[in-house]
Amino acid sequence: MSRFFLHQDLGNGILEDPEGMEAADLATAKQQAIQAARQLLANAIMAGTKPIGKAFRITDDAGTLLLIVPFSEALPTDMRARPDDL
Amino acid sequence: MVQPSQSFVRNCLLSALDEAAYAAVAPHLEPIVLPKGVVLIEAGKPFEYAHFLNSGIGSIIVSTADSRRVEAGLFGRDGLSGFGGVLGVNQCPQTTMMQVEGDGYRIALSALRHACDQAISLREAILRYVHVFITQTSFTSLSNVNQAIEGRLARWLLMCHDRVTGDDIALTHEFLSIMLAVQRPSVTTALHVLEGSGFIKAKRGNITILDRDALIDFADGMYGTPEAEYRRLIGPFG
Repeated sequence: MSRFFLHQDLGNGILEDPEGMEAADLATAKQQAIQAARQLLANAIMAGTKPIGKAFRITDDAGTLLLIVPFSEALPTDMRARPDDL
Repeated sequence: MVQPSQSFVRNCLLSALDEAAYAAVAPHLEPIVLPKGVVLIEAGKPFEYAHFLNSGIGSIIVSTADSRRVEAGLFGRDGLSGFGGVLGVNQCPQTTMMQVEGDGYRIALSALRHACDQAISLREAILRYVHVFITQTSFTSLSNVNQAIEGRLARWLLMCHDRVTGDDIALTHEFLSIMLAVQRPSVTTALHVLEGSGFIKAKRGNITILDRDALIDFADGMYGTPEAEYRRLIGPFG
């Protein structure tokens, strides 16, 4: 198990994950990030507000950036396209 | 055993009892310190004691076999754990544990039942508390299906604030995520929103309530009814 931190990229700043979480590996941490993004997006959509975050920046204990997971990865595949692309 | 004098008891339910009710229960109260995380009632296992809290916060948690869980209700100096004993049961499917350390009195269920037989006003007071507790869980249910996570968190923080001394509540995001049955980043984000509005100050492992009235407004009617029921039926609270 390793410790991973799911910091949120807000576009104009970073919302830090103060506690981190244990996960078996980076792939598991990514799955958790996608699950978390689903809830963040769903919560904002239900409330009729804009999600404040844009992506997770997954780091290790030392703060090294391991992976960026855009919240859009949490959407169903056919909903990820930008309106301009339709 | 030295009996706690009613005027010094900080448990609101005990201090609101009439003389006969308090006289029936007091000889059986044993002072106890309750550290964070201690389990008062384990799901599916017989329990022998009820606990009246003077401080700290206890949670009633329901979970599935594969560990999905949510807090169904909480209590502190307003009430007691194990009121099922007064309802005639000594085992239940929920777990009761301390989420904020505290202290109080424990009482053997047999002694509590006996005291309720001696003083009907004691039984009535506990049954009124059961009614208030059901009211709380009803509003938790309403809040869970109607409110965004920020509103649910606001309500929950108010309920904790009622049961601690001062404005600081020692809670981690991890713990809050379990209590609200949401993912940890949702707690982080919701705290950020409440903090950005100036309602709270969040530090690692600690939340300070800055503007209680604003939190109540933000909770949008989901907070306040169970608390009003308590004051109407039992006495001062929070």
